Amino acid sequence: MPLLLLGMLSLVFGVAAGLARLGADMPAPAAALAGWHAALMICAFFGTVIGLERAVALGGAIAYLGPLASGIGGVALLAGLPLPWVESLFVFASCVLFGGAIAVVRRQSAMFTRTLAVGAGCWLAGNMAWVTSGSVQAAIPWWLAFLVVTIAGERLELTRFLPARREAAPLFRIATATTLGGAVAAWFSSYGLMLFAAGLFGLSLWLLRYDIARHNARQRGLVRYIALCLLSGYVWLAAGALIGLVGGFAPGHPLRDAALHAIALGFVFAMVFGHAPIIFPAIARVKIPYHPVFYLPLALLHVSLVIRVLGGIGGGDALPLLRLGGLANAFALLVFVMTMVGSVLRGRGAGRG
Amino acid sequence: MSAMPDVESVREVLRQVIDPEVGVNIVDLGLVYGIDIAPGQISIRLTMTSPACPMGDMIMSDIDAALDAALPPEIGVVVNLVWDPPWSPEMMNKDARSHFGW
Repeated sequence: MPLLLLGMLSLVFGVAAGLARLGADMPAPAAALAGWHAALMICAFFGTVIGLERAVALGGAIAYLGPLASGIGGVALLAGLPLPWVESLFVFASCVLFGGAIAVVRRQSAMFTRTLAVGAGCWLAGNMAWVTSGSVQAAIPWWLAFLVVTIAGERLELTRFLPARREAAPLFRIATATTLGGAVAAWFSSYGLMLFAAGLFGLSLWLLRYDIARHNARQRGLVRYIALCLLSGYVWLAAGALIGLVGGFAPGHPLRDAALHAIALGFVFAMVFGHAPIIFPAIARVKIPYHPVFYLPLALLHVSLVIRVLGGIGGGDALPLLRLGGLANAFALLVFVMTMVGSVLRGRGAGRG
Repeated sequence: MSAMPDVESVREVLRQVIDPEVGVNIVDLGLVYGIDIAPGQISIRLTMTSPACPMGDMIMSDIDAALDAALPPEIGVVVNLVWDPPWSPEMMNKDARSHFGW
């Protein structure tokens, strides 16, 4: 639980840093962090949350050292400690996650466990790219791949409930390999990022086609809500990848904000919105009973992201639109957190906590 | 000492425990590997679909809660999480399989 709070701290400051980056009027400490938005969001927040999720599953004390390190790494970044300390903490945390993923593969060698290991390896690769190049830019494709491949691996696991389709596994391998190949090629050529985008586009189509979400969307209540979160996220993954295909992942490209946030917010946070009601209780031992109000932050997220992406596509004149979308994104996250906290309290009130 | 329930009635209680991701109960999904009934104690062997899944503890406490509500308080419940054999789709029963369109 304290680890989760460390992660949440990085989320709050990471979002504030993102707003400062968009030129919003933020308090000085947040403005100073503007350059560290990606590191705070991906390493300090998602690294900690995913590390924690894995540690709860593995159950060993060592596994908790990972999220502890990335949580502290976030605080170190916020406190302005020397960068090598921060980088070392994140590298260590990603090594622990990768090691844990290898332990999972040894417990059960299957395509989905190997995919989770690849996802964790992408985080490590991104951190190493950051350390060796001295620039966060070099890490961005790997960090995105960390989130997307990890999520894809978790989804792959659930497709086993459905009747197997022969073509699904090879198509998944091709899309994942294209994504990783693109991330590697991005070191050498600007076309690498387009290959990367093509891989992500393939993964989005795969998820839309083969994931259990389409089946679950026909159920009711929480199961349906989760499925709709996922499906809407896959559409954003496809959208972000398409923007990437026209060059949007390149540093300095006018569509970069749209490409990165379609994926990091639209795809990844839709996943977070969907799974918080079941993962958060597993980590923090509270109940989050389903309520239809869960759809409100989800709708806000999507509408605000559409505004932001349109602002990005509109170019210089549409910059206010992009900023408005960004602010509304933060508002959607706030409403989401409030909805979850409200549900925790309701869960207690119902005497089920 | 109260009379011990039989395996079938314990299984019926476990059907109240739902995997929230797919909305199907853990018995039909084939996650319950064994139910052993000894005087005063019920032991359950349970698996998860993935060793990377963090929901194990929560499902185990849901099992405790369901059995506590259904059984006299003096009956103990032990739930062991096992990984051998790994879960596979063949372990789902007919209801679960037809739910997923097999």
